Amino acid sequence: METRPLGDTGHDSTVTTFGAIALNWLEQEGADQLVEHVLDYGVNHFDVAPTYGDAELKLGPKLRQHREEIFLGCKTQERTYEGAWRKLERSLNRLGVEKIDLYQVHGLEYDEELDAITGDDGALAAFREAKEQGLIDHVGLTSHGDPGLILDALDRIDDLESVMFPLNPVVAGKDDDEYDYEAVLARAEAENIGTLGIKAFAGGSWPSTDELPEADRPFANWYRPVTAPDEIRERFDFAAAQGLTSVISAGDPKLVTMILEAAADYDGMDEAAQRSLVERVRHDDSPVPEQLHH
Amino acid sequence: MDVPKTVATALDDRSVAGKRCLEAGAGVGNATAGLLANGADRVYAVTNDRDHARTTRRRVGEVDDSTAGDRLAVLEADLRAVPLPDDSVDVITAHGLCNVLEPAALSAVAKELSRVAAPGAGLVVDDYDPIPDDAAVGDLFAVENAASELARGRPALTFYPAAFLRRFFAGHGWAFERERTLLEPVPWTESHVAAHADRAVAVAADCPGESGEALAAAARRLAAEIESESVGRMYGLAFRLPV
Repeated sequence: METRPLGDTGHDSTVTTFGAIALNWLEQEGADQLVEHVLDYGVNHFDVAPTYGDAELKLGPKLRQHREEIFLGCKTQERTYEGAWRKLERSLNRLGVEKIDLYQVHGLEYDEELDAITGDDGALAAFREAKEQGLIDHVGLTSHGDPGLILDALDRIDDLESVMFPLNPVVAGKDDDEYDYEAVLARAEAENIGTLGIKAFAGGSWPSTDELPEADRPFANWYRPVTAPDEIRERFDFAAAQGLTSVISAGDPKLVTMILEAAADYDGMDEAAQRSLVERVRHDDSPVPEQLHH
Repeated sequence: MDVPKTVATALDDRSVAGKRCLEAGAGVGNATAGLLANGADRVYAVTNDRDHARTTRRRVGEVDDSTAGDRLAVLEADLRAVPLPDDSVDVITAHGLCNVLEPAALSAVAKELSRVAAPGAGLVVDDYDPIPDDAAVGDLFAVENAASELARGRPALTFYPAAFLRRFFAGHGWAFERERTLLEPVPWTESHVAAHADRAVAVAADCPGESGEALAAAARRLAAEIESESVGRMYGLAFRLPV
């Protein structure tokens, strides 16, 4: 599988990263099998979080067995020094490892949070101490929030080495600043910060729970994913062709093999085909009536 | 109002800022949006379709940029008689226009566009190569054309090869500058297929005798069967009028 340098970390990540939340939906035996399956494809970057149910615990056994083959990303939603230290130690315990390769600020959403994590008593102070103590190697940030806020974070956090954000043909087709994750990608590339793409396989929102109760959703994802092999493939190709370091696999284990296949076969996507995909999605979701043309 | 990637790509190497622009055949105003976003001083969006004129005005009204409305003039007019003086525009876009013009109309429109273009003006022509023979949407377009021929004596759609329009506009005095591929394959989505089927059904109502009903039924059946299809190529040509 193709690998790309993850910014200045010195690690070359495979073009897909295993989103280990998928393990949460499996029993331990199935989780072990899925990790072996993912490793068989050569995937070398895993991403997990303490908020993903049992995913850390279920990843643990195979992670420890294959520790040298896996670049491990984990994250915390804690914004304070104390909270971040507590969650880091908890994750290390639950995963059963001595070090996390990439520790990320998880789900940055508000300006106040950016103030908090960068403050003297903020989470990043804990990250830096942990780094000095050899408990983590690199510092990252994840957000599905306002691209402007992510750009601010890139400005204000000097030692940021990776950033994780949404990128797919739906957001690429929208011009408003609130969807301009391409600006984040461009800035990160310019500053040699690794880029990790999420929501590459998002098809749209789930219907309201009145219409479709949560228990009746056919997939575990937070969004309604695309599910056909061809759609998965073109979504993967699109995300990878934007220049992301790596595309995070979708959170439902039923989709993982299709994504691994797409990643293994990835050999670029020409620009006319990328635009074709953006156009298709735009029209499927367009409020403008009677469009005969593109 | 989002500028479609096709339009953004067709315009990204064109000088638009501060220019007087004409969108020939405004449709839903896609190229107008791109011209305004790229800083056009003025955009004349010309269409002979009242609904399209209304849609274009409404969509531009959604733009954040408050000057956009002031910079836009939607003109309801026939492109064979554009209500603008000679040499009065610097940039012309024909985005998805030529395929709705049969050869006679295309000739008349090209002549008129050349008249209103100032020396040194740019022309952007974006359209579709002929639909491949084995494409299902080709069958739907054939039914739409058959209905249009019977009802009005002309086809609804004519897909001109890029090389044809390149030479055709050269014949009207435009120097060819470049060609690029905007879409390949072209995504004929459910909404496109449904819109073409609706159009075929509407035109079929004007067909003489029983042929209209048969064509309308064929259009509905094909739309249901096809749903959507990605096929063919949309190209972008750019020309300049010599000074």
